[in-house]
Order: sequence, then C-alpha cells, then structure tokens
Amino acid sequence: MKVAWLPTALREGLRCQFFARQTILNPRLRRRGLNASAKQFSTSIRLRAGIAAPEIKFKNQGKGEGEEEKIFFARLIPESPSYFTAQPAFTDDLLALQDLVRKYSTLPVVKPGEAPRVAWRSLVEYRNMVGESVKASKYHKIVEVLRRLNQIQPSLMPSDVAAALNEYKRDISPFQNVSKIAPLDEFGRAAGHGRRKTSSATAWVVEGTGEVLVNGKTLAEAFGRIHDRESAIWALKATDRIDKYNVWARVGGGGTTGQAEAMTLAVGKALLSHEPALKPALRRAGCMTRDPRRVERKKPGHRKARKMPAWVKR
Amino acid sequence: MRKRIVLSNTNALEVQGLRELDAGLGETNGEEVIGQVVGLMGSTVDSLRAVEAFKTAQGWGLFRRPGLLVREESVALSRKLIMSEEGEMLRLVIDGERGTGKSLILLHAMATAFVRGWVVLNIPEAQEVTNAMNDYAPLPGTTPTLFSQPTYTANWLSQINKANTTLLQDMELSLTHNLPIPLQSNISLSRLCELGARDPDVAWPVFQAFWAELMAKGRPPVLLALDGLNNVMRESMYRAPDTSFVHAHDLAIVNHFVGYLSGERKLGNGGAVIAATNRSHAPKSKSLDLVLTQLEERQLGEEEITEKDPFEKGYDGRVEWALGVKDVLKLKGLSKKEARGLMEYWAKSGVLRKRVDEEEVAEKWALAGNGVVGEIERGALRMRI
Repeated sequence: MKVAWLPTALREGLRCQFFARQTILNPRLRRRGLNASAKQFSTSIRLRAGIAAPEIKFKNQGKGEGEEEKIFFARLIPESPSYFTAQPAFTDDLLALQDLVRKYSTLPVVKPGEAPRVAWRSLVEYRNMVGESVKASKYHKIVEVLRRLNQIQPSLMPSDVAAALNEYKRDISPFQNVSKIAPLDEFGRAAGHGRRKTSSATAWVVEGTGEVLVNGKTLAEAFGRIHDRESAIWALKATDRIDKYNVWARVGGGGTTGQAEAMTLAVGKALLSHEPALKPALRRAGCMTRDPRRVERKKPGHRKARKMPAWVKR
Repeated sequence: MRKRIVLSNTNALEVQGLRELDAGLGETNGEEVIGQVVGLMGSTVDSLRAVEAFKTAQGWGLFRRPGLLVREESVALSRKLIMSEEGEMLRLVIDGERGTGKSLILLHAMATAFVRGWVVLNIPEAQEVTNAMNDYAPLPGTTPTLFSQPTYTANWLSQINKANTTLLQDMELSLTHNLPIPLQSNISLSRLCELGARDPDVAWPVFQAFWAELMAKGRPPVLLALDGLNNVMRESMYRAPDTSFVHAHDLAIVNHFVGYLSGERKLGNGGAVIAATNRSHAPKSKSLDLVLTQLEERQLGEEEITEKDPFEKGYDGRVEWALGVKDVLKLKGLSKKEARGLMEYWAKSGVLRKRVDEEEVAEKWALAGNGVVGEIERGALRMRI
C-alpha cells in the first residue's frame, strides 16, 4: 500500500489501520495488547480503526489482476457516525447495547434481586479496553443497560445478548468463588481448622450445653488470661451461641495468644457447618479471616528485624 | 495488714430473705437449698474468724455479711458429717482444680461443725507449720524423734480456745494429767487451753492433755481440719541435728493430724478429719498425686487404676501410708443452677451490675472453664472493665 503521498497526519493512521484489522476481529487479543501498553499511545488502535475508510486500491497496484477500480476519496470517511463525538468507541458500545435492549424489550425478566450476580468490568478496565478517557458517569450508563440485559430470563437469553454481556464481564467472577462448607459427620460433629502466628487449632463443634475442652483441659486450665478464653470461643460468643454448642479442640504451636486466636477461626469455621447463614455475622466478628501477620524476619546488619546497632565513633 | 480479713462492707446492699446456715441444713432439708447462698450466723462467724477459716483472697469484703453458696457437694458433706456424729469417723481429702472452692468446702464443714456443737481444730495454712518459720524442739522419749513447735502450738491452743470457748468453758477436766505445771482438778478445758497458750514451753504437753480430755467419754464430736495438704506430704524445711530435713510427719502437730487421717487412731466421740489440697503455688508430691488419682478412679469405678511408675524415685512411702483408706472429694466446676444462684446473690448485693439471665450465666460459666467458681468470680466481679 502506498501511503507516502497522503498527508503526514493520516499516514500513521492508515498504517495502523492496516495492522489493526486482525486485532479488531479478535477482541480478546486486542484487549490484551491494549492492557499492556495503553498509556503509550495517544490514540488507540480501535480509534484509528474507526477512521477506517474502505481500503484504497491504487491503479498500479491492482494492474493485471482485473479488479474493478474503486472510488478514490481525497478525504477519509469515518467508519462510524460517532467519530465526531468525544468518545466514539464508548458511544458505539452504548448504542449497540441500547439496540439490544430495544430489540429484546419484550422478553420476560426476572425480579431485580434474582438476576444472576455478575461482576462487570471496572471503569479502568473499560477505559483500557476502548482506549478512551470515559467518565465514570458515562460508564455507569453502560452498566445500567447491562444490568437491564442481565435481567432477561436466563433460559430465554438470546445468544447475541449473552455474547454482548460476556464482553463486559470481568475475566474472573468473584461470585463464582463459593467456598465449600464441610458437612457434619455421622455423630453431628463439625471440624474446623484455624491458624494464627505459628499456632494452629482444630476444633470439633457439636450441639451441647457450652462445655469447652482444649487439649483435654478446661478453658480455665488451658488459658490463664480471660481475654484468651474469650478469644477462643469468640465465634460462639459473638453469635450468642455459647450455651448451644460444645467444643473439643486440639491446639498446638506458638504461645497462648496465638493458640487462642487460632481457636477463634477453628470454632468459627466449624460453626459454619452447623449454621451456614451465620457467615456474615462471623465475618463481622472477625472469625473468618486469617490474620496473615507473623514475626518479621531478622535482617543482616540489624540486631533484630528493624533495630540497628548503636553508632560507635570508630 | 497482709492477713487482714474484712468480713463486712457497708456499701454493699443487704440481701433480703437470706437463709441462715443452721444445724438442720443437710439433715432434713438439702436439695431445695442447693444453688442458694446462706448467711453465716454471728457466733459462727466469730468462731470461724478465730480459727482463721476466712482467707484474704476470698472476697468477703465485697458483701454486707459473709455468705456461703450451698453446692451439691457441700450438702453431701453435711450429711456425711451428721452421720459421723454417731457412726464411724469421717476421713476425707478435698481435691480439685485451682479455684474450685476447696477451702470454702472446708469452711462449710467447719461452719456446720460449729452450728452442730462440735469442737473444731483447724490448721489454716499447713505451709506455716512446715516452712521452718517457728521455733522447734525435739520431744524427748519419742522414736523416731518428733519435733514440737512450742510457739505455734501455744498460738494454736489460744485459737482453739477462742473458737470453741462456749463449749470448752462448760467442760471440766475429767482425767488426771502429768503436766510440768501445777493444775487444779476442776478447771475447765478453756482454762487448760489458756494455760497452754500462755507458756509455749508447756504448750505441747498441755495440748496432749487437752486432746486426751476431748477423746474422753461424753465429749462432743471433733473436727480436725487442715488446709494445704501438699505442704505436709513432703519433707519440711526444718533440719534435724544431722542437718537432714525433718519429714513433715515427724513434726508433732502434723504427726497428730496424720495419725487420724490415716485411720491409725480413732476419734473417740465421732467426728471428722478433713484435709484440703492446694493447687496454686503448692509443692509437688508424686505420692499424693498418685494416691489421689487412684482413689478418684476407684470411686468412679474405673477398671484400670493408675499404677506406680516403676522408674520414678520420688515416691514417699509415708505419704502413701498417711493417705491409707478414705474418701476423696474431687471438686469440679459449679453446675449452671449453682452458678446462677451465686450470680443472683451477687446481683442482689449490688456487686454484679448486670441482668442475670441464662445467656449471661452460660457465658460466665463457659469462660470460667465449665463453672470453676473462682474463675466465675474473677470474670464477673474482679475483671470489670
């Protein structure tokens, strides 16, 4: 393709367009390439592709092949009428989605709360995708349309809508990551494991009257501090279930605080097997999340993790 | 100041309708009182104070007047005490984890004995007998040599006199004694104790004479109590002339107590010998632990009884002999009902400012290691934030 005689400003655009064809056809590839180097280009490939007039065929190039001659435009004609809006890619996307809504407006929808939960792409991701500085409020419009499309009865979901929705779904949906809850065994026991610092604990929880045994000892014998005892059965205390369950636990490693707080997690996890609906309450009470902190390593040149030797004159 | 006992707090509310600990408790009524707090009568309180049954760390100063929680175990013990008035003497060791109320069960036994007209002899802290803080002297004519503790014995006699004075004043000498001091034949036992308390040098012979009088026919039953059994089940801190340690059982007072605890000697007019172990900062005794474990297992009817460790050198034959055959009362935590009764009493006294409902009781009960009473108190009264 000869582009040399074209105005300088357009040369680059045409060249890009030539190479960009492939990537437009493959949106995943396009997205990946863009994610890596979105900041480097002042305009995106897609934007340049939007300039895309039909391919120019020059006389001498098509000679001997018997091809019909095409009309030569001195000026490039934009592919999309949105070219003259500030964010043409965004406008195209929005219009396409709105078309879909209009097209399938007669399909039955589920109730607002019952639509499958979907995590849509974040604003940053979308910006990278289209290569335009889309405002949050603008992107929100797209998301609202997406939500409307998502409410279409799943069994009647048209394939083009599904494809369009997939385009805007996050690559990894956090809502699909549902943790499995261990079932109770034949004796009605639920086991849970927990760790904290270097301690680890396993707790078996059964329905009972509030008796607790830790390594065969009562709570008072196992933990001298009342604070530690409260930590150990915090999951039961925070949910007002101290007198509903018995706990039998084995703890090891670390010190008393670590062991008690490892038990917090272990009892919390085991309690979930009995009452899965308690999960939000337990999360709020801090019985679900492992505390990742541990002793900081010692560094060379330091006395301890951070402490430096005292300065000496010589 | 270190040993000051405060038994009343005028800021605490008076609990209305508090039952008194009377002679009938455990005889006819028992079950309906379990889980309630009973008040101690004034005379009983004086006597208990005289025998140093109240300890400093027990929190008496929080309430208007001293009260005792009636537990299932204490009613059972009361029954046994009442039975021992006629039948065989009761020999009992009270054991249990730290804070389970061993000393208070002992106090309950003493209070019951006082209201039932027994003579009570109490060694409030066995540690004070064996830790070599008192003067001591070998007793002539004893093999193996026993050591008397004149000052401690004199002090003990005065305590016994003060605690049981109403009883002892009415008892006159009935036997003839060969004592180093001149003695009128018609003096009361109270006076005899006074004579012994006045002069440490004659305290031990006077105590022996006093004891012989108590064992004579027609005298009331006797309660011999000791707190801190671990301290007397080992070598004492006293030195023999050859600089070896004197075994605690070679101290005259301990020897006297252990003679009855082992069942070697019998109380003439019925009564009981009760010892409570100590589980906080107490010396270890392999034999004591072994014997108590074995006794408990026998009581529970377990098939396998713990054997002696053949490679362990630390066993003490004298301790095993002293703990020959008798009951062991293994204390555990309170039941929920008892815990609730206690917490309601605290709430009525204005010490516990919370609503006492099932949840609150269950929480405190669980946090206290399945109802260990000392821990419930610590969690509910002392750790208020």
